[in-house]
Amino acid sequence: MYRILFLAMVSVTLLYGCELYQQDRYKEYYVVESYLVAHNSLPEVLLSKTVPLEEEYSYKDAAIDNAEVEVRWLNADSTIRRRYPYTFSKDGIYAPVQSATVREKQLYQLLVTLPSGDSIEAKTFVPGDFKTVNRDELSDRYVYQGDEQIEITTTPSGYITDRQTYYVFTIVAEETDSTNLTPFYADLVEEQDNSIENFYINSSGIINEGNYERNSDNNISLKVPWISFSFYGHNAVVANAIDDNMYDFLRSQSVQTGGTSLSPGEIQNIRYNINGGIGIFGSLASDTNRFQILRPSP
Amino acid sequence: MKKTALLFLMLFPLLASAQQSASVSGYITDAATGETLIAANVALLDRRQGTTTNTSGYYSLQNIEPGVYTIVVSYIGYQQYRREITLQPSENRRLDIRLSQKGYRLDEVVVQSEREQEEQRAIGTAQVKTEFIRKVPSVFQADVFRSLQLLPGVKAASDFSSGLYIRGGSPDQTLILLDRTTVYNPSHFFGFFSTFNPDAVKDVRLYKGGYPAKYGGRLGSVLTIFNKDGNRNEFEGSITLGMLASRASVEGPFKKGSWMFALRRSTLEPLLAILQQTQDNIPEDFAFLDINGKVNFDATGDDKLSLAFYSGSDNLKFPFAEDAGINLEYGNQTLSGTWTHIFSEKVFSNFTLTGSRYFNYPSFNIAATPFERSNNIYDFSAKGDIEYYPDDRHELSAGFWTGLLTLKLQDKFDGEPTFRSRTHSQYGSFYIQDRWEVNNQFILTPGLRLNGFSEGGYLRLAPRLAVEYRPSDRIRLQGAYGRYHQFLTLDSNEAFTGFDIWLTADDEVPPASGNQYVIGLKTSPWERYNLDVEFYYRTMENLFEPDPFLPDQAGLPYKETFRFGRGYAYGAELFFERQVGKLTGFAGYTFGVTRRKFPGFNAPIQEQGARYYPPKYDRIHDLNVVVNYELSSRWSASAVFSYATGQAYTKPLGRTAAFNFPTTANSKQQLIVGKVNASRLPAYNRLDVGFNRNGTFFGRGKAQWQFQLINVYSRRNIWFYNYDLDENPAERDAVQLLPILPSISYTLNF
Repeated sequence: MYRILFLAMVSVTLLYGCELYQQDRYKEYYVVESYLVAHNSLPEVLLSKTVPLEEEYSYKDAAIDNAEVEVRWLNADSTIRRRYPYTFSKDGIYAPVQSATVREKQLYQLLVTLPSGDSIEAKTFVPGDFKTVNRDELSDRYVYQGDEQIEITTTPSGYITDRQTYYVFTIVAEETDSTNLTPFYADLVEEQDNSIENFYINSSGIINEGNYERNSDNNISLKVPWISFSFYGHNAVVANAIDDNMYDFLRSQSVQTGGTSLSPGEIQNIRYNINGGIGIFGSLASDTNRFQILRPSP
Repeated sequence: MKKTALLFLMLFPLLASAQQSASVSGYITDAATGETLIAANVALLDRRQGTTTNTSGYYSLQNIEPGVYTIVVSYIGYQQYRREITLQPSENRRLDIRLSQKGYRLDEVVVQSEREQEEQRAIGTAQVKTEFIRKVPSVFQADVFRSLQLLPGVKAASDFSSGLYIRGGSPDQTLILLDRTTVYNPSHFFGFFSTFNPDAVKDVRLYKGGYPAKYGGRLGSVLTIFNKDGNRNEFEGSITLGMLASRASVEGPFKKGSWMFALRRSTLEPLLAILQQTQDNIPEDFAFLDINGKVNFDATGDDKLSLAFYSGSDNLKFPFAEDAGINLEYGNQTLSGTWTHIFSEKVFSNFTLTGSRYFNYPSFNIAATPFERSNNIYDFSAKGDIEYYPDDRHELSAGFWTGLLTLKLQDKFDGEPTFRSRTHSQYGSFYIQDRWEVNNQFILTPGLRLNGFSEGGYLRLAPRLAVEYRPSDRIRLQGAYGRYHQFLTLDSNEAFTGFDIWLTADDEVPPASGNQYVIGLKTSPWERYNLDVEFYYRTMENLFEPDPFLPDQAGLPYKETFRFGRGYAYGAELFFERQVGKLTGFAGYTFGVTRRKFPGFNAPIQEQGARYYPPKYDRIHDLNVVVNYELSSRWSASAVFSYATGQAYTKPLGRTAAFNFPTTANSKQQLIVGKVNASRLPAYNRLDVGFNRNGTFFGRGKAQWQFQLINVYSRRNIWFYNYDLDENPAERDAVQLLPILPSISYTLNF
């Protein structure tokens, strides 16, 4: 009997002591950040490293200086069409030596050689540019939550694969005084302790092109919902078509902040399409229209 | 055709039994109410022969040599029935037996037949008495699922969830049948309570694993719930007033049958009204309602008809900010009509038509931008079960289940339809199984189930086998194997079940499948003491779930909206029960390991692939002790102590940020994690106590006060950690589970 009890105790002790799936330790990663916008100048590249969660995070301290950075414009077969060397500016920020314009529907590559000798590589395909075709039919002013809603008709974007376009709509407020906050956002700021700065730029989540039907002329009509406007006054309405890297980053980053079917406390890593590091080397095409949002009559 | 005939001959080898033998068959019912008793034990004391009643309360003993026997019928909580019967050659005795409840004679010594507690102690099976559900301390009100969560092998996701996580399976892996009808979302208050009103329920039976061929359609387990038939002798009713919900039920006889009607409704309105005057962001309306009903008509001695229905819904109206609000209505409706027919003393049958509807209609309206969803499931089916008792060694059963499943999902954003899906699926299954008592020590239960699903054109065969060996009267060695298939998957969140969406297999989305292996040892070391051990191992293949990384499904092929993975679970369960004396109760311990793997999830940074990881509800050790003590004829006390390994969570290891993200004014904070769910929350423990006082209501009827204290020592167990990256360094906030909660209820029976 005592032997059985002893064996049972040993078994229980072993079960407790033997962790079947152990937590691993922190590992440092290099982090890059850069976004190519079709028809804009080549962007800066930010280079840093991760820090342990329990430590204070300071980009300046995490920045990596004196790396060799180059962006390449590639042919469809991935051979190099043109090189754009970068120079170190400050605090892990690198800028192109010569100004150049990002081309739509083209493949770009980022290459970073770190002082340690490690290297980082990433590619992005810049989505096809698109433009608003009905700007003349649109008013410059709209009454907030009025009968008439802004509906932009754009040409379609395009991508290296046949995939549908992934849109993100961004509203950039230009009159960001707190008195201009629309009622919902005023409540969030004044009653629920949100920072007003969070709403200077308001973006939708990712919206698939599949939500819209193409018009007979193959264009797409996009209605701008009132929830997008956090401020009355002048707003820039930006429609963005994003590349795969931004798509993966955005969708997985939003999962980290909750709101999915994952159980609370289950955190998955963000999907980075970077070799030798993490971060984002993304691209997008965008189209901007400006409107004035008027307060509704009392 | 030849094969079919051969199969028939193989499976029905003993159709022609000895003509001189006799038989006894009939229904076992409660003497006071006329309710049929499911899984009551019937045995001939002088002969090693016995059986249990089926889900209709019917039994059949065949191939009995003519002679004089003592028939013994027992059922927990009822006085044992004993009667001497004389069977003549070829006599087919119809013997309907009525059992009387025990009252307070707790120390009564009973003679047990060898087949006592047959069904309850079948491998992987647990039966929960409604009396236990009503008595055991439970948050705010008695709850069927929360009572089930106390059994070994059954885990709760949190204090806030009544979802059943059984042997490593998520809630969608349990088939829930109410009066033989599938219930798709059995929850109220976003999962806090289950939908089943304990006043309306007669029988709760959980097949945790290795379940027989009679059931199918889920990878893990089956929960069958039967509503009461209604009192066939007299009118009676009860009213229970509780803090969160109140309920009422009435039942009674009519000329050739009985009826039952039960109502349960939340009673939060006074509390909401008080809170609304002092605090912001309180729901305008937050209520649930359940209505259960059943009508039984005994057409003849051999024909019974019953019609059962259930309707339940939740309503929430919550203006959570200026110019913003959410409305949510969700619920279930079921309807079933059953014809029970006894073809002969050897052939018993049930035929049921079922209808089940699940719906949810969430809508948000924020700054004049509406989001509306309409989600409906309609499931209409016909099913039949035939039981054939050719002799005293075989219980053959066969049946079918066929139906039409319609899923309709439509989303609208800002007034425009953004997603629309309508799926019509025909499904069908056929099973055959035999409970073969090879000799007095060996029982084999082989079975075969064939499942078909029209979407994708899938046909799946599911063999099952259960073996039992009884080396002595007090020891049973059991084993079971089964293959299981699941054509549905659930898009849900353990924290919030009101938006649940079911999805089906389809072209290129094959059904999930898995094997289960169970072995067990069941002993009765002393009279009315049970000690059971079960070990299980199960695999899960082709798990298909909506991809949580997918923000928008519009325009994507159906296949691309899922993630496909696999998993496994293994564990051991120990169950010790005392059923006699003033102190009754049980202790259940589970050692369990569950792992899942999905491509792209839990992959190391900079690497492809995936690793197995434990889901949040994985708990290595889980202990529940439930005791009930009869203090006097009026007072009883009960207590529940729970201890479990802390749930799995992901501990972030590092952080970084994207500062120039084009679509935001803020930096995009990023957590760097290692293995997913590789850390454990602090161990969970909680003690609940309750006191029941029986009395009368001014001499007009029985009454009961129930006082309960949940989480007596106010242990602040942790649900999960939230990481605030706006703070620097990041701060970890613990989101806690329930504090100490008192509860009181008053029940009046009339």
